[in-house]
Amino acid sequence: MGKLNKQFLLYTPGVTEKLTFHDGEFEKLGFILKTEVNSIFGRSLAIRELDSGSDNAAEIEMNNLGTPHYDVERFGITFVASPRHADVLAITGAVTHNMEIAVRKTYAAMPSPKFVIAIGDDACNGGIFAGTYAVNGGADKIIPVDLKIPGNPPSPLEIIQALHGFMNVLSQRKTKRQP
Amino acid sequence: MKQVVDINRIFEENNATLKSKNGAVNYIAVPEDDFINTMVNIAGKNVVLIGLFCVHNFDSHPGFSLLYVLEKRNYNNIVIVTRRLEQSSAGSVATLFPSACWFEREITDGFGVTFPDAFDKRHLFLHEVYPEGFHPLRKDFRNQPVITGETIPVDGEYVFKKVTGEGVYQIPVGPVHAGIIEPGHFRFSVIGETIFNLEIRMFYKHRGIEKLAEGKTPQQAVQIAESISGDESAANAAAFCMAVEYLCKTEIPRRAWQLRTILLEMERIYSHLGDMAGMITDVAFPKGASSFFVLREEILRMNNALTGSRFMKGIICPGGLTKDIPPQAIIELSKYLDDFTARLKTAIDSIYATSSVIDRLETTGVIKKELVNLLNITGPAARASGVAIDTRFDRSYGIYGDISAQFHKRIAEKGDVLDRFNVKAAEINDSAMLIRYLISRLDKGEVSAGIEIRDGYALSLIEAPRGQNLHWVYIKDGRIDRYKVRTASFCNWPAIEHAVLGNIVPDFPLINKSLNLSYAGTDL
Repeated sequence: MGKLNKQFLLYTPGVTEKLTFHDGEFEKLGFILKTEVNSIFGRSLAIRELDSGSDNAAEIEMNNLGTPHYDVERFGITFVASPRHADVLAITGAVTHNMEIAVRKTYAAMPSPKFVIAIGDDACNGGIFAGTYAVNGGADKIIPVDLKIPGNPPSPLEIIQALHGFMNVLSQRKTKRQP
Repeated sequence: MKQVVDINRIFEENNATLKSKNGAVNYIAVPEDDFINTMVNIAGKNVVLIGLFCVHNFDSHPGFSLLYVLEKRNYNNIVIVTRRLEQSSAGSVATLFPSACWFEREITDGFGVTFPDAFDKRHLFLHEVYPEGFHPLRKDFRNQPVITGETIPVDGEYVFKKVTGEGVYQIPVGPVHAGIIEPGHFRFSVIGETIFNLEIRMFYKHRGIEKLAEGKTPQQAVQIAESISGDESAANAAAFCMAVEYLCKTEIPRRAWQLRTILLEMERIYSHLGDMAGMITDVAFPKGASSFFVLREEILRMNNALTGSRFMKGIICPGGLTKDIPPQAIIELSKYLDDFTARLKTAIDSIYATSSVIDRLETTGVIKKELVNLLNITGPAARASGVAIDTRFDRSYGIYGDISAQFHKRIAEKGDVLDRFNVKAAEINDSAMLIRYLISRLDKGEVSAGIEIRDGYALSLIEAPRGQNLHWVYIKDGRIDRYKVRTASFCNWPAIEHAVLGNIVPDFPLINKSLNLSYAGTDL
């Protein structure tokens, strides 16, 4: 607890105006997520976002994760500029044919071990575009997907909830391997 | 000289000036022999080509018809010149109306109708992976998965304009960018740090929106309209529904239009707030940007309370709204907006007080006024360049005619990033004021009228946050036969190619953000 207080102290004096909002559920989950990220990913989870043909609402929600209400960097989650720096590829959209090659190249550029999270209905299974001429119909048609977060689009809270669930799965895998 | 159809006369008929309400939409069939002369006659005379699209088996004409949607500044009649083709090629008008360039390339990809004399005949939305001879919008193609290439042979690559000379080099950027941004490709030709030429290649996100709508009922197609661009869901859903309501001659309840207008203005507020935050982020002033981000998040939460969706999806439908808005949410919104304007002013003042920020915004990325009509630049981008166009006033729809006395068009003259920042800031205030005005006069009653779907076609124009969106719906046997969407983004992208010239590469993200166009809305 002493450790947490020290963290808060860093934010309080004169950095920005006083925060008047509190998203209890989000913050609680965020700090749980932080301890999970600390143990599983060595204190930092690097996410590379890739839009393969979404309607852009999912991008807005991902951007929101970095804005003052959510500010997920305090939980050890960063959005990185290059797939070479990424642990996780967060993909949105049903993978259009025009983006297919870029999606393959982006995935190939990531170092292992690597994980893929599909965000939004389109990325999960093609959504309303499934079975049409312009799309592949979901991220898992092109690259292996480890986690699907449905929604049109999922809210920042839903994304964080899903990441927390994902950490649970990963830590179970880890403990299974250890003994 | 051949007899030409006098389009000008049709614009001016019935003294249809801006003061009156929604003008007429006139469909004029021009025989192929007279077509080019007719267009030459009106080119450059304040007539703007705001849309151009193809319809397969239109009315009783088998084969392809091209529809040219024309608007004349200061008149509110719309003229749609219909050109019935006997073959699958036609003369280009791209030198007369430069906005036609992308439209014609779009038609060639979708339908295989060629324009042999066009100056740019490259593919548009079908990239190299699609098979040759594939034209998805033709009626003989059933919407189903197609087999596309997994690699692109070097000699089959899309050709960008080459700029050569001492010290000129190219910077290719995208489609995957460094941030959380939609995909697109920017090819810069640069001397030192100065941009000498920029070519933008879009359509990486082409999802086949128009084809997807075919065969659907209007009720089913609303969801498709909402996914044109996530941050313009309300505008596109409303525009689609307006087109359906025009053609089915349905009057929707006044309360429904009041609530729709509240939603449309909420969308303008959060969209503009995002643009302003983006501009300030891109000049590396995160503290200044965070105030706008905070306000935007609060608006998104208000959206959720009003409609159950942060992007206001699933509430607008043909005939009105799918559900009423909870009275408590409206009271909360009204209370929230009480001090919204003051908080916004504080945020903007902190930007104005920071000279290093203003220094970056001022004189950067100028869009010349002369380009506005030629390229059909629309929305805040046009208004910041001194062109007073706003569909809410020019062809007022819904209840905008009744409330337009409450506010006015926001115009600036220089056309730089700072002017676009200012125009957007002023429009946010107007929208907040309009919402409060509407809430104080909200009618009681139904939010939906029964709609009886009829066959026919109709055009609707709406002022989305980024500018005018055009929707054209053609219903046959109760189902959509053709759905044409032209968003503001589609027309405004080429404006960026002009705005960046002579600027330095590090200012490109800032100029791009000052327009903040939708890739999804362009690529469809």
